[in-house]
Amino acid sequence: MTRRTLTGAAVAAIAATALLVGGALRVGGEETTRTPTNQLVRTGLEEQSLARRTGEPTHYTRSERALRQALAQDPNDVRALIGLASLANTRHHFREGLALARRVLGLSQDMALAYGVMGDALVELGRFDEGFRAYERMVALKPSIAAYARVAQAQSLLGDNDAARTSIRLALDAAVDAETRAWAYVELGRLDRGDKRFAAAASHFRRALAVSPGNPLALEAWGETEAARGNLERGIALQRQAVANRFSPEFAASLGDLYAVAGRPKAAAKAYDVVRRQEQRLAENGVDTDLDKAMFQLEHGIDLPGSLALARRGYAKRPGTEASEVLSWALIRNGRCGEAVRYSNQALRFPDGHRYFHRGMIESCLGRKAAAKRLFRQALETDPNFSPIWARFARAQLH
Amino acid sequence: MRTLVLAIVGIAVAAAVLAVRGPAPEAGQASSHREAPLIAEDPSADTTDLYAFRSLDAPNHLTVIANWIPAEDPAAGPNWYRFSERARYAIKIDRTGDGKADVSYRFRFRNREDTLFLGNTVQDYTVTRVTNGRETVVARGVTPPNNIGPRSTPNYRQLADAAVTSLAGGGKVFAGQREDAFFADIGAIFDLVAIRKGTGNMGGGKDFFAGYAVHGIALQIPISQLDDSDHTVGVWATTERPRVKIRQFRKNGIRRFHEQKQWVQVSRLGNPLINEVIIPTRLKDKWNRLSPHQDAQFEQYYRTPILAAVINQLYGLGVPEQNRDDLVAVLLTGVPGLNFTGPTLADMLRVNLSIPPTASPNRLGVLAGDTAGFPNGRRLTDDVIDIAERAVAGKLKGHPAGDLLGDGVDGNDVPNLTSFPYENDPPSGFDNTKGQQKP
Repeated sequence: MTRRTLTGAAVAAIAATALLVGGALRVGGEETTRTPTNQLVRTGLEEQSLARRTGEPTHYTRSERALRQALAQDPNDVRALIGLASLANTRHHFREGLALARRVLGLSQDMALAYGVMGDALVELGRFDEGFRAYERMVALKPSIAAYARVAQAQSLLGDNDAARTSIRLALDAAVDAETRAWAYVELGRLDRGDKRFAAAASHFRRALAVSPGNPLALEAWGETEAARGNLERGIALQRQAVANRFSPEFAASLGDLYAVAGRPKAAAKAYDVVRRQEQRLAENGVDTDLDKAMFQLEHGIDLPGSLALARRGYAKRPGTEASEVLSWALIRNGRCGEAVRYSNQALRFPDGHRYFHRGMIESCLGRKAAAKRLFRQALETDPNFSPIWARFARAQLH
Repeated sequence: MRTLVLAIVGIAVAAAVLAVRGPAPEAGQASSHREAPLIAEDPSADTTDLYAFRSLDAPNHLTVIANWIPAEDPAAGPNWYRFSERARYAIKIDRTGDGKADVSYRFRFRNREDTLFLGNTVQDYTVTRVTNGRETVVARGVTPPNNIGPRSTPNYRQLADAAVTSLAGGGKVFAGQREDAFFADIGAIFDLVAIRKGTGNMGGGKDFFAGYAVHGIALQIPISQLDDSDHTVGVWATTERPRVKIRQFRKNGIRRFHEQKQWVQVSRLGNPLINEVIIPTRLKDKWNRLSPHQDAQFEQYYRTPILAAVINQLYGLGVPEQNRDDLVAVLLTGVPGLNFTGPTLADMLRVNLSIPPTASPNRLGVLAGDTAGFPNGRRLTDDVIDIAERAVAGKLKGHPAGDLLGDGVDGNDVPNLTSFPYENDPPSGFDNTKGQQKP
């Protein structure tokens, strides 16, 4: 799970879109007539739904085209605006997503979904308190699967996994379709995985697959969990299916790393090729991949100076804890450990195995060996498989 | 031109129906995804239909039926459709015409077990009657299991009958899976030129809801408990979900999830199609959160319906766009001489309890002179799609676009039951046939 940071974000985005699109269409009752605008809005939102299901990024381009045309006909069409806001977030253009969500709220203070989309942007921009307030507003206006999902995400970020479980269970209870139920089981599994309850996690992933056979989110998360508990080949088999079932550079990178630690460099290289091709496709369809690309290169020792430049650019656009983590890692990998401290501190607002490890690398680089060891240990205790590749490295440093 | 009028108004209504029900079931299948994007966000909370009527077999009672979870596919497996445990469902009744509930019947459901692998969809439930803030449990019931097939759920009729429970103080209740009594030709309505026979008033449509199930709650309440001098009551259904906080409240270090539980109403339904056809998108969440007595703020959307304007803008039909006091009366105050409840504007399904049920109901209800049907309450057989098409086109104002409109589906695909709970048993997964062609 080398690219855990961004995988987390991507998965959240996938789930969020899943719920959002349903919501957007649900509120889209003015599609009561087959006017050209309504048809365009419908198409725009359906394309996003297809993107979510397949991962295929050309749907983003098509969605944007339709929604922009709708907006040209009616600049105040709230459905088109919400659709574009969520699309901007999906493409990691969070400032644009924020501005669009605010435009919706300027037209109506009462749309729960608009608060959700605004919160998504704020959280990714590192403005957590405002983002969480937006989520709470959303759930106060209209408790729904989409609102519970966001509350759970916030609770999990704050380290309160029990509260997050309660919220996901509310969403699960409300869900009647297979995809949403599978999503909820995967989330419950992720929370168990985060608490190192591997067996419980695996049983949730199995349930997700029973509800939604071949579900790539479940296969990927289950594969990672199996690898984390030492079943490397099982993990590879599951993640191979995940990659086959869904366009996702995150999934391909994760599979590549499992191949790498399994001593199968050729298979790993092939998976990494998929990552590069898919990221190219994402970029061609308007997704900002700076941080993802930087993270991938840093993890695998590719073009470190170029990665630092990408990380700085990414941080400027999207200064959340994920960007802080990538930038701090980029500085570390380029030997600028003193400068990395500031960003590492920011990232440790929401600590995890990766972030403790990075801090350990800073300490090590600054010559503070005891502190470094303590942090490596803390990283591994927090998550023994925070990264298949770097967890090994951290373990080696302890001896 | 007639066909066009029909189709346009029809599309409007069909899309409205879709908005509340998710896709027409077949539309979902055509794209080979049950999780089609149009599936409503919260089907276990969104009420699809509300009915209120006096029936021939129990004329001294008011029967109220509300449905949730549209387009349940009986053949879906594993079949996990059930009421939401963490939601609060209610049927509310205003006796005085002020738009506020005088009597509420509140429902909470509890699962017997996680159904995922065992397919056990039986739920226990409690009915609480709330009057003047006083809460009384009036029934504890059990839903029948969903109708899986003759091996899993044999003798389904008996299972369903056994699930009918008495209410303390009189009346009865049923909750569980039912055949969707709603009927409409969504496919034809969406296709401009495909009204299957003539202009739609000759039958021959295809009921897209045939073969699909819903989860329904049915109540039969003695009229003596509701009636007063003006005889008319207003009925609506609501669903609430709990609001949660990100940072959980803790007391002495112990988590208190329930102490800060606040219920938020997320859905309501009085008259059919209001949330979909009348209320603008940006106000839907708000409308769903409020009580009918707060509906005056939405009057302009009833009086000047967006829909009529759009129809004229596109097709120049001269449908009346403004001053639709006909719609305001039908939907917000009741019709004078029929079921008028006073000046308070409140979206409720109004029933005049003094009008007896008829042995020969007309599907067009009051529009056809049958005052025992919609908009005086709503029976399972009332053809609200055709009525809505004609009403929006100005039938009540004598507008000529009126009488021949329809979707060609004039009744349900299976007979409704002649006694409580009236909605028929759900089609079984084993031998279901969805979307039957009517002859």
